[in-house]
Order: sequence, then C-alpha cells, then structure tokens
Amino acid sequence: MKSSTRLFVVCFALIGIGLSQDLPADELSKKEIRQARRKAKGRATPEVVDKVERPPLVLAPIAEVKNPAPVERNRDLTLSLQQVMRGAAHIDHRLSTKLAAEGQKRNAPSSDEVFVRRIYLDTVGRIPTPDEVWSFLKDTDPHKRAALIDGLLLSEGYVSHQFNWFADMLRLKSTIKRAKYGLYQRWLKDGIRENRPWDETVRDMLTADGSTATNGATGYLLRDTGMPLDSLSNTLTVFLGANVSCAQCHDHPFADWSQREFYEMASFFGATDVSHRDPRKVGNRIKGHADLSKQDGATIFSPSMHRIKDTGENTLTYPKDYAYDDAKPGEKVEPSLISWGHRDRQLPPYRVDLNNPHKLRESFATWMTHRDNPRFAANIANRLWKQMFGIAVHEPIYDLDDLNKGSNPVLLADLTRLMVDLEFDLREFQRIIFNTKAYQAEANPTPAIGEIGEYLFAGPVLRRMTAEQAWDSVLVLALGSDIDEFQVDKSHQTTRFAMDFDAIQSSNVALQDTALAFKKAGYVGGGSKKRLVERDLAGSGRMPHQFGRSYLLRASELPQPERDAHFLRMFGQSSREIANDGSREGSIPQTLMLMNGEFKELLMDPEGQLMEAVHAMDSTEGSLEKLYLCFFSRLPTVDEKNLLQAEIKRNLTFEELAWTLFNTPEFLFVQ
Amino acid sequence: MIHRRHFIERAAKASFGLAVLPNVARSYQIESTKGLAGFGSAKRIIFINVKGGMSHIDTFDPKKGKAKGPADAIKTAADFQVTEYLPEIAKVADRISLIRTMSAKIGVHGPAQYFMRTAFAERNTIKHPNLGAWAQHYLGASHDTLPSSACINEPPRYGNGFFAPTYSPIPILEPSAGLENLKIEGGARRLKMKLELANTLSERFVAKYQDSNVGAYRDFYDETLRLLRSKDLEAFDLSNADKATRELYGDSKFGQGCLLAKRLVEAGVRFVEVTSDGWDMHQDIKGDMDDIAPSFDRGYAALIRDLEGSGLLDSTLVVLATEFGRKPDYNGAGRGHFPLCFTVGLAGAGVKRGFVLGESDERGATPDVPRTVEDFHATIAHAAGIPREKPFITATGRPFHVGGTKGKPMLEMFA
Repeated sequence: MKSSTRLFVVCFALIGIGLSQDLPADELSKKEIRQARRKAKGRATPEVVDKVERPPLVLAPIAEVKNPAPVERNRDLTLSLQQVMRGAAHIDHRLSTKLAAEGQKRNAPSSDEVFVRRIYLDTVGRIPTPDEVWSFLKDTDPHKRAALIDGLLLSEGYVSHQFNWFADMLRLKSTIKRAKYGLYQRWLKDGIRENRPWDETVRDMLTADGSTATNGATGYLLRDTGMPLDSLSNTLTVFLGANVSCAQCHDHPFADWSQREFYEMASFFGATDVSHRDPRKVGNRIKGHADLSKQDGATIFSPSMHRIKDTGENTLTYPKDYAYDDAKPGEKVEPSLISWGHRDRQLPPYRVDLNNPHKLRESFATWMTHRDNPRFAANIANRLWKQMFGIAVHEPIYDLDDLNKGSNPVLLADLTRLMVDLEFDLREFQRIIFNTKAYQAEANPTPAIGEIGEYLFAGPVLRRMTAEQAWDSVLVLALGSDIDEFQVDKSHQTTRFAMDFDAIQSSNVALQDTALAFKKAGYVGGGSKKRLVERDLAGSGRMPHQFGRSYLLRASELPQPERDAHFLRMFGQSSREIANDGSREGSIPQTLMLMNGEFKELLMDPEGQLMEAVHAMDSTEGSLEKLYLCFFSRLPTVDEKNLLQAEIKRNLTFEELAWTLFNTPEFLFVQ
Repeated sequence: MIHRRHFIERAAKASFGLAVLPNVARSYQIESTKGLAGFGSAKRIIFINVKGGMSHIDTFDPKKGKAKGPADAIKTAADFQVTEYLPEIAKVADRISLIRTMSAKIGVHGPAQYFMRTAFAERNTIKHPNLGAWAQHYLGASHDTLPSSACINEPPRYGNGFFAPTYSPIPILEPSAGLENLKIEGGARRLKMKLELANTLSERFVAKYQDSNVGAYRDFYDETLRLLRSKDLEAFDLSNADKATRELYGDSKFGQGCLLAKRLVEAGVRFVEVTSDGWDMHQDIKGDMDDIAPSFDRGYAALIRDLEGSGLLDSTLVVLATEFGRKPDYNGAGRGHFPLCFTVGLAGAGVKRGFVLGESDERGATPDVPRTVEDFHATIAHAAGIPREKPFITATGRPFHVGGTKGKPMLEMFA
C-alpha cells in the first residue's frame, strides 16, 4: 500500500511539474499576480462597494438606474493544448488501470454526432443548433474536439450552464423572506465569466462583509440568516464533503464527529452578526405617511438590513439541552478546527489564529480553502467529475469522510492534486477532463442504485437532461443559439437602495423622508412585478420574447427557482431548499407537458422558426435531415429515412414528426 | 427492453429462490396486527406534511411559563387545548387525536423530512418509499385509471423509493391549476399513431442502452395515456367544485390543496400528501404564525368537516405530520429546530376522537413515553391494513418492512 502510494505520488509529481512549469512557484505571489492582472484588465467586480458615499438618509436619487457594466469574459486559457492532453492521458491511464484490474475496459470512442451533442449539453447546457452540428461534423481537423471544447468553455453559454450547477449546489434563490438576491446572482455569474478561482470564490463568500445592496458575496451567508448551525452544516457538506448533519443535534452515529466539534466549528461564526431584522417592522414605521405603504418600506430598507458584520465578540454558547459531559450547557464555545486523520493538524492550514475574534471567519476561510486542507480540493474535483460523468468518483458527494471508500481512491487523489496544481481553476480542470478518452467514450446505462459507488468509468453514464438543460434545449429548438444573448440582471433592485445599516434605526421622520424621496424618484411602486423592465436587461440588452406566462429566457436568467408549475420545476429543478436537490425523474404531469404542453406552439407551429426551416428545405429528405439535426444532432439512418418517407407519403406531417421526435428518449437523454 | 419493474420482480423472485426469505423471517419477528382494533380501517389516507418544523408549543401542545409563545391556550371541543392560532381546529378537535410525545434525533430539514415521509434515515445506497407506494405494493392499485398516490404542493421526491418509478405520486404543484396539459391536439387516433411511431424510432436507442431510467420514462407514457382515458379525471379540476366548498377551505395554496386531496381520495386515489410550507420560524414566531396559521387552521378544519359531511371520515385517515418541533426556549423572537419532542395528529378511520396519547413535560422538551417516527408509520400501515410482518425484498436482496423493523403500531390510538 505504502509503496504503491509513493509510486503514484512520483508519477503525478511528473505530471504536476508539466502542468505548472510556466506558473510562478510561490503561492502568495501567484495570488498577488493574479489579482494585479485582473485589476489591470479592469475585471475587478465593479459593484462591490463597502462604504456608501451617500450620507445616511439624505438622499440624492440617481437620475438613471443602470446595472454595472458587465465584466469582460476571461478568454485566457492557462494551459497549452499539450499540457491539457498530458493531463488527460494521465487520467485515462489511471482509469484504464483500474478497469483492467477488474477485467473491464473503456468503451469505444463515441461518434462525432454523439460527442457534439454531449459536449454542448455538458459545457453550455443546451443542445447544438443544426449549423453548430454541421460545422463540427464537416471539420476535418484531427484536433477538432479539443478546439470545440475550448471554444465552448469560453462562450457565454458556459456561464449560464455553470451558474445553474452552482445554483443547485448553493440553494440559490432570487428572494428569501422579502430580501432580494440579484446582486449575489450577478456576483456568481461574474465570477464564472472572469473564471474566478474556486478557493477565492469560497473565501469571498465566507468572509463577505456588507449587505445585499453592497456586496454580492454576502448572499451565501445571508441565505441562511438566523440559522447559523444549518448554515455551517451546509458549508461543511458543500465545500468539504463532511457529513456532519447529525452532529448538529447529537454525536454522529457513524463518523467521528461529535456535537462538541460541530459547535467548535460554529464558533468561527459566533462573532459575526448576520442580521435578521424584519423589514416589515420598518415598513410599519413609515406606513401611512404621505402615500407610503408598508411594502414600500420593505422594498427600500430591506436591502441594507440584510447585512453581515463582524462584532468582535464571540457569543456562541453550548445549547441548554447539550447532552454530553465534554462541555456544559450555556458555556462559551471556543473555536477549533475539525480534522479527518491524526496527521492533519500538522498541515499548514491548521496554523491559523483562533483567538482574535475579529479574524475568526478569516481564519476559518483560510483553513477551509487552503490547498492543503484535507478535503477542499478533493470535494470540488469529485463534484465536477460527477457533473461531467454523471457519477462521482466518490459517492455520495456529501460524504468524503473516508477517502478510501470511493470507486477509485487513487484517481480521486490524482484529481485533487490536479485541482491544486491548477490553483482551483475549475475551467481548466473541466477542460482536461473533457479531453479524456474516457469522457469521450460511449455512454453506459446508469448502474443500479446500490452499485453506483462501484462504477469504474468505462465512459460517462446515460443521463436524462437536467431540468435546465431540457428547458434551454427547447428554447434552442424554437429560437436558435440566439438565446445565449439574452441576459437579465436585477441587482439594481438592491444596489439603488444602499444605505448605512445603523441609520435605519433613526427616527420615523427620517425614515419617512427617505422613503418618500425614493418614491418620488420613481424607485418604488408602479410597474408589474412579473414584467421585465429595460434596466433588468444585461448582455445584449435586448428584450426577450414573451410566451404565455413566461419569458423565453435561459433558466439561468429566470427567477431562481421558477414558479412551481413551470416547465423547469416540472422537470425537476430544485426548490433550492436542499443542496443538490435537482431531480431527473419522470412523472405523469411531465409526460403530459411533453405531449400536450404549451410550447408545442413554439416547436410545432408551421410558421415558427423551427418548422419554417424544415419546410424551406427543397426535398422531403432534406426536411427529415433538418429535423433530425435539430432534435438529435445527427442525420437519420437509411432505415429511418425510408420509414419516414413512407409515413409522410401516407399522411404524417412534419409537425407531427417534430412532436414524435420530441417525445422520444433520444431527445431527452444525454448519451 | 427490460423495464425496472420487471427487473425488480425478477430479482425478487430470484432472491426468494435463494432462500433469503426464511432468513429474514428468522431475524425479524414482527407480529401481525391483523384483526386488532383499527386494522384496515383506512381505505384512504390524506397525509398533511407541515414542512419546516411545526412549533408544537405554539400549536397543539401549548405551555405556560418560560416556554410559552406569543399565543394563549384556548379550549377546544375536546378535552385538550390548542393555542389561539387554531380557532377553527379547536371547533373540530373532538374529531381528531394527537400524539404529543413524538421524539427523533434528526434536526436538519432535508434528512428529517425524508425520515418523516419514509421512516428511514436517508442513505446513499437506496431510496425508501413513502406510505402511498408501500400501500400500492401490498394492496394493489386503488383505481383502474387514476394513480394510486398523489402529492400536492411538492414534487414527488422519490416517493416510489425502491418500487417501480410509476409508484411515484402524481405531483400537483398548484392545486387551483390542477392537472394541466390534458388537451390532446389532433385527437386520440393521431396520438396513438405518433406514439407508435416514437416507439419504432426509439427501438435502436432503447436496445442499445437498456437503461432503467429510459424504461421508466416509457412506463410514464403508458400511465399517462391510461389517465387521459379516465372518466374520473375531473376530480383534479377544482373549478368543478362548488364555490361555497372552495371558500370553506380558504383561498390559500394549502386550503385548496386540502380540497383537492379530498376530491382525489373520493375519486379513488388511495394516498394523497398535502404540504403546508413555511413553518421554519427562526426569527419571528409571531409574525410567521400570523402569516401562516390562519390558512392552515382553516384548510385543515375544513377538510375534517368536509370528509365528515361526505360520510368519508370513518374510512379516511387524516395524518398530520411534521419533521420536528421547535425549541422550548422562547425569547420573543423565533425558535430553533427541536426533534426530541413534538406533536403529530391522526383523525378518522377508526381513530379515537378527541384523544391525546402521551404528555410532554412542562417545557414541551421531554416526552413521558417517547414515540418514534417508525412507530408512527407502523400505526398508519396498521390502519391501512398493510401486512407489516411481510418484508419486501429489493433487487439487491435487502428486506424492508413498513416503518422499519422497530416500529410498533400505537394501538391505543384506535377505538
């Protein structure tokens, strides 16, 4: 065991050197360089303003509410193609070795048709258009797959797809208890757009100060306002794969976590005020003055009332019903870090300041996001692997307590190192995995639920599209790749009301005057809640098409999550109460929606974009090919053509055929 | 093509052949409750899921002193008290019974909800079914065209567990909208033709992967077609209900959900879950109860009255469940999660009327005799007439019983 471990370390070190040879060696200076580089390019997140210039409650309403300028998309790929291929080859070698040891081997390479559909869905979250399919199929460049992957990872569709993935994981909601989280969404999307490293993203979320009006990164902690223990439980699970949910109430029945350890971790947030004042109460204080309503008050003051601030005094105590004899109920909890193995505590991340109450969150974040944290890199590598292959190397993703338990622990260790070597550049990580022969192989059916943990990745698994992929793909069918250009950014709904938190405690008169000034400036009231207004639009700034009760916008641009009976929810979009709760299961209402749903008017309307293109072809064969390229990203086989030409002669319409293709598993499943 | 259902059946048969069953019978001695009071009295079940953790002290288990919340206790039509947040329920209290001594260990919403809906701790290796799927397995489909289970205001969330995917409850996320997309364009004959064509065109794909999820999708098409042909489809449409009845339940998602549940069980759906959301009151018990309690109070009381008026209450079990209670400490703001002591309810279907099983201490923190979620499920299974002593053997050869192997029916609940 030991010698084989050493062998792998040596093997990987070679790869590691290859990957990072053109990067500076010292960790700190690397970060500095990165930050400096970003500033020079003007990519610093523009809306993060901690101190509001405006004096409290003396308002100078802005003439025009505008969203901050969009951040530039970061188009710099760090690794050379050679480095990517070397990394991919190493992972393939790891997988093949394991498969061979179990008497299995990698699946045959997927065809270009299967690959092009899969890679679009896995990178930009939607099926390709016929033009996109065709330009790939006819390309004769031997490296065309790698080139396509690069192009897709740099496109706007990638931001949308990756955002959906984060939104499911982080339980992102547009509105929670009357607070709006538009700035948080904006911050997350900007982070993807500028390829912000994962460690930086997480650190920013855990150490954020300010309010929903001034700092998007506060959204993560504010999401669980008033629930510090739930919040910690989620934080440890989502970022470290630490299965701690039981320890919140009692000693963990299976793993080593004790309730005391859980509280010691929670203590890192014990000197932080995650405000939970109810804006309705402020609303009551202005109600009735002039024509102000309670709702006006909530709209104006709520964005600044949801804020995070370090108090400098740790107030966490053990609960009154604490049942173990290692601490007393009501006693102050001293912060302490959990570890997984007895050697962990000697690692650099554990050398953080536990005493300064002003720096507790910072210490926690430093420990958690450190490259040598025992689980941080492994956790995100494992989760991204699942995003790409359908099954994680280590299942379940929320329990990495014993790293030896996964299907291929050596592979997970490799991926962890890779993540660290890449300095948590998620996009480069995905780029390498997408270029593996394993990812590009034919898919397998999903193993039985009890055998998921033993899957060895002869290829990715066949998956039903996520709700978001399904919705976005329907839009592509109806409107083409244009849909990537429509973007919504509602951060102005909070940023325009940024004010000093303490000032909200002032006299009723001051509050009323402030509210009135905002109202007079047209910042509250008026306009339907559901409709988009011009200042909600980002990206191309174009107003999206409206269809029934919905806008034809990609899932990432719609309310998070969508209303209950929306297509997205019907197809399993998470309600965002539980991390990674999106579902891929079928149901009767879903089937009804596929069969009779309103968007058949979009897809099967003879005058719609899709059917017009089909009818515009000058032969039946051409129309059949068009339909197959649209729905399945491939041409029909000879047999299919013969069969369908006969059916069309009989009386099958192209509209009916479109319906039929839409209602086959080949459309809804990702091969 | 192998459908998952067939696969499971085959595997189950193989397991029997390998003599798994005798071993199982030896390891778990579960006594049949057939013939005892209440067995099989529930022909239908409405499972009200109060999501977020209902504060027992502020609803069905009022306390005095430090634990007391913002509301006072009021008298009811039964011998027990509730808080003044529940004036309508107070009037029908002589038709419902409470268990004030529920006790569990999971204090996190997701896992606790899973536990309360299945009586099993969430595991990575298996998904456990809800009571509707269990009932369908042991008692068969409850109707020849309607589904046997439904869930209102919530997605199905793996309700089928280890049973066939089609045992999953049919979700109705907006009760007033009912079941949408029922209109078949071009008529039934064209639909049949198109679906046959879809099957033909899918043959290659289906044969290549032999994937259980693909099989499940095809099963859902069969189920959907059967439902579309159903004469009882109008049960899903609340616009068919008279205005007075709709008003009785109140103009809320929960109230209308209760009405829909009543219509569905009346039409032949055996098990209907209705969710009331928003009970996670960490910051402001008073404000949040003012928001939610009236619609809950009205909907639940209307359901009891309406079932009784239709003569269905004696054969319909109305379950009131929540994932945990809330902390006894009250400082004028909110309360944290508290799984160690909380209250659930049962009404109808042979259950005693106006009865309370067990008492919590003066803080509402400790039950006299703790009752588990497994006990609660075993009780419901008993009322439904499910033979709990017979295990279900999963495809991987694991035996499972409703309410686990430790659940004991609370027979005191039945008259």
